[in-house]
Amino acid sequence: MLGSQSSDSIEYEDQTPSREVWANGVCMKTSEVEAKLDEGNIQEAESSLREGLSLNFEVMNNFGIYGCIPENGLLQKANLYLLSTSMKEARALLGRLEYQRGNVEAALHVFDGIDLPAAIQRLQPSFSEKQPSRKGRSRGDSQHAVSQHAASLVLEAIYLKAKSLQKLGRLNDAAHECKRVLDAVEKIFHQGIPDVQVDNRLQDTVCQAVELLPELWKQAGCYHEAMSAYRRALLSQWNLGDDNCSRIQKAFAVFLMHSGVEAGPPSLAAQVDGSYVPKHNLEEAILLLMILVRKFYLGKIVWDPSILEHLTFALSLCGQTSVLAKELEEIMPGVFHRVDRWNTLALCYSTVGQNKAALNLLRKSLHKHEQPDDLTALLLAAKICSEDSHLAAEGVGYAQRAISNAQGRNEHLKGVAIRMLGLCSGKQATISPSDFERSRLQSEALKSLDAAMSLEKNNPDLLFELGMLYAEQRNLNTALRYAKRFIDATGGSLLKGWRLLALILSAQHRFSEAEVVIDAALDETAKWEQGPLLRLKAKLKTSQSLPMGAIETYRYLLALVQAQRKSFGPLRSVSQVGGDGVNEYEVWHGLADLYSRLSHWKDMEVCVMLQGRGQAEEAMSAYITALLVDPSFVPCKILIGALLSKRDSNALPVARSILSDALKIEPTSRMAWYYLGIIHRVDGRIADAADCFQAASMLEEFDPIENFSSIL
Amino acid sequence: MSEDGSSSEETNTPTTSVSQDTSTAENTAITTSAFNIHPETPSSSSSFNTHLAIQSLSSILTTVSPSLLSQDQDPAFYLLHNPDISSQVSSLLRLPDSGAGDNNLCRWFYDTFQSSEPQLQLVVLRFLPIIAGLYLSRVALKKPLAGFEAVLLAIYAHETTSRAGQAVTVNVPDLSYPSIYHESKRPAKDNDAADLNLAVISPSLEPHGTVRSTRRARIVGVALELYYSKISLMPVGSKIDFCEFCKVWSGQEGHELQDDEDNVEFQDNQGNAEKESVIKEGRIALPWELLQPISRILGHCLLGPTRDEELIGSASAACRSLYSRSLHDINPHAILATRSLLRLSKMALDPKNNADHTEIPMSDVISL
Repeated sequence: MLGSQSSDSIEYEDQTPSREVWANGVCMKTSEVEAKLDEGNIQEAESSLREGLSLNFEVMNNFGIYGCIPENGLLQKANLYLLSTSMKEARALLGRLEYQRGNVEAALHVFDGIDLPAAIQRLQPSFSEKQPSRKGRSRGDSQHAVSQHAASLVLEAIYLKAKSLQKLGRLNDAAHECKRVLDAVEKIFHQGIPDVQVDNRLQDTVCQAVELLPELWKQAGCYHEAMSAYRRALLSQWNLGDDNCSRIQKAFAVFLMHSGVEAGPPSLAAQVDGSYVPKHNLEEAILLLMILVRKFYLGKIVWDPSILEHLTFALSLCGQTSVLAKELEEIMPGVFHRVDRWNTLALCYSTVGQNKAALNLLRKSLHKHEQPDDLTALLLAAKICSEDSHLAAEGVGYAQRAISNAQGRNEHLKGVAIRMLGLCSGKQATISPSDFERSRLQSEALKSLDAAMSLEKNNPDLLFELGMLYAEQRNLNTALRYAKRFIDATGGSLLKGWRLLALILSAQHRFSEAEVVIDAALDETAKWEQGPLLRLKAKLKTSQSLPMGAIETYRYLLALVQAQRKSFGPLRSVSQVGGDGVNEYEVWHGLADLYSRLSHWKDMEVCVMLQGRGQAEEAMSAYITALLVDPSFVPCKILIGALLSKRDSNALPVARSILSDALKIEPTSRMAWYYLGIIHRVDGRIADAADCFQAASMLEEFDPIENFSSIL
Repeated sequence: MSEDGSSSEETNTPTTSVSQDTSTAENTAITTSAFNIHPETPSSSSSFNTHLAIQSLSSILTTVSPSLLSQDQDPAFYLLHNPDISSQVSSLLRLPDSGAGDNNLCRWFYDTFQSSEPQLQLVVLRFLPIIAGLYLSRVALKKPLAGFEAVLLAIYAHETTSRAGQAVTVNVPDLSYPSIYHESKRPAKDNDAADLNLAVISPSLEPHGTVRSTRRARIVGVALELYYSKISLMPVGSKIDFCEFCKVWSGQEGHELQDDEDNVEFQDNQGNAEKESVIKEGRIALPWELLQPISRILGHCLLGPTRDEELIGSASAACRSLYSRSLHDINPHAILATRSLLRLSKMALDPKNNADHTEIPMSDVISL
């Protein structure tokens, strides 16, 4: 038997065409045995194998030759041991032979002939009884060697039995056999498998069994057993190799993620004091995947791209793409292409709203020396740019590149690219310095969106975008049509559709109809999302000279905003808190506006502390601060202009330039035209003043109660 | 039995189904005496509920074998897995006006779900893909939907109750602290979770008595979350139904991954651009509250423990469509999720990633 250890080294090296069996330093061709097996005669095959390999007592004495067993007393013991196992050895060899020949049924038959439970039973006391009482260390060690080999033999036999059963589709039985291997190992090695002095073959069998068991339960459909088998594999001491352990960790992570079965918390025994214990499948899966990524950094395992994809999926499910970005940034260069890394990072950052960071990465990856034609990156860059008027011009470039690259199998994205071009041009138009340029960009935007519409007929977002564009150009009837179509196409599920419709109606001075729309929208909205609608409703009431109704609505809105602030813990999703929320100050401002119309000056003063009479200086400094924060904030410019226009004539040129500036940004600002008119009048340019006032009054006719861009 | 009546109190019963509730209660009273079953014993009450459900279903379906009631096997299991019943129910569901408030089948679903019998609720969930699929796709078509809504609201209410309205959250682990699976040099910290990344998987639930259109996606999304939690018990057919509807919802042809250079034969033919200009019925808005449960369900179909070839084919097609859609929406979140799913399903099919490490080394030399 110890001969097997000496033969281990050459075992796998020479690839002889026919099978051979090695034992006790004897080598034997198996053709004769195989022939007997093919006849179905296990008994004879066994005896010929025993003869050929000299698996009997006489030969056992020859072990002395090898000098592997140091003490005579023990040799006797070992021999006795071997005598009882010699038959099993032959059987085990036969079983393995049959298994390797692919005759799993026959292998199973052979294994069934071995009384494995009894063999396991015999292994246990040999450890538990003797080990503690032995004093001499060397004796204990050699005892180790003997028993380890015997254990290895028995365990391999059981393991192969489990594999045979698996191949026959008897998965439950296979799992039970495989579990017996692990149970036996736990009984034999109380303290866990020792790192040193362990038989290689035994360790291999243990590792394979640890890996096989959860797989078997999984295939058998026993998912809870599989869960505990995975945990047992990873939380007990099996002395697993890095690759072995990583495979199990990955398989467990995948199982946790996708089995659809909740694992429940790990057993209390496994919970080391103070260490992190995952409480949810996703938590556990993410933990395992992160550990795998770290193992790769440390050079313990080779790179497996699927680990990163699993982690990407898991973290994007929880919306934690910023954590994913951190993981990606830590991966060493050379593992995957830097452009892929930049693009994926951009997706991660853009998901959590960090569009600036995303755009910077995309600029790198779209550089002409990198991958300037990557369509996804181009589209994402264009989309990010389309949301910021100062980036829109850059976005136009990306969109045009995307259009020219949307060919072949990417042809289906052409409509998307054209749509982005339209959105970017439309955004660019809003800050265009000249009238001519503005109208050129606007018509370009319309043309693009129309073209996109013919390619993306079933995309309702386009309806909304066209509606917005027409509304901003004050082509209200067309805008109205698109807004209605958008609500129909989305089944009224998006708040922005209702708000656009109401604003367009308000711009047409159809206030009562707008109020009907708002009421309908309120019906379709849960309480927490009603803020923006209520604000609109209050303004509509104000416009209809229904101050009491407006005050009532404002009160309700204030109560809502305050309740929201109190009850929103950290557990609300972003969509519930951000975006559509109503700023409390806006409400106060609206109330102030209302009271000022009603000439309730006292009340108004309470609402807006600064902008009272006699506090112009403070108001001014507040406005200037606001302007420093956002240099293109039109309402502030207008207010500064208005304040300056009321001062002495020295301030008038400044006021004029600020108002002109405001009009460049927002040419449809009625108030800016109005104050500009006042300045012209004070300066004595009556004709100019008249023009301005006329513009203001014309605009007033088409002014929505809130700016259209407030919807976005 | 009393559950029928009491359950309607805590859940917000839509008006369409109230009358139905009382009628089944009467029905129950009659049949109870006929069968002489004691409603007190839970086992008989559950099998009684099941038989009742089968009886009322057989009055709706044209051909239900009368032998159903005499089946030796668990009748609820039979309802869940019988292919004849599934195909009949799904073809009835797909009729143009099936979602109406007075639809018998919708009432059956509603009542069966309200029976609070876990096995019977599984039967209802088995058809959730079709119900939710048709419902969301028909909203824009202005078809009657009160029946579908009643079922979906019942499921939503069930989930709201069982979660007590609480959000589902996840702590994204930080490897710098030790865990049960790894060690770290930094000392274990006390249970102060403040600097862990708290992620909301499903926000807190408010009770809804009707489907408000802005909450529609959320209500269906929560129903799909419940479906996902039971997905290991669902028959393959139900999952395939779901995958089919994902394709309809996406409104897109499936396209291969862009970074897939070696698969030239997958290139879509030129006729595609024309196909796309046709308005596809059934395309819906796909906010994250829907896409998240959809992704999880597809993940299960593609990478879960049951490896069914037809299901995997169907799920990868669905995934391709959704990936294509996410590109059309330029939705980075959806791109990340669906792209990783697609890549993973590809890797799972690659034989070189499927080496069996539990196989013993097959050498010609066997040693003892």
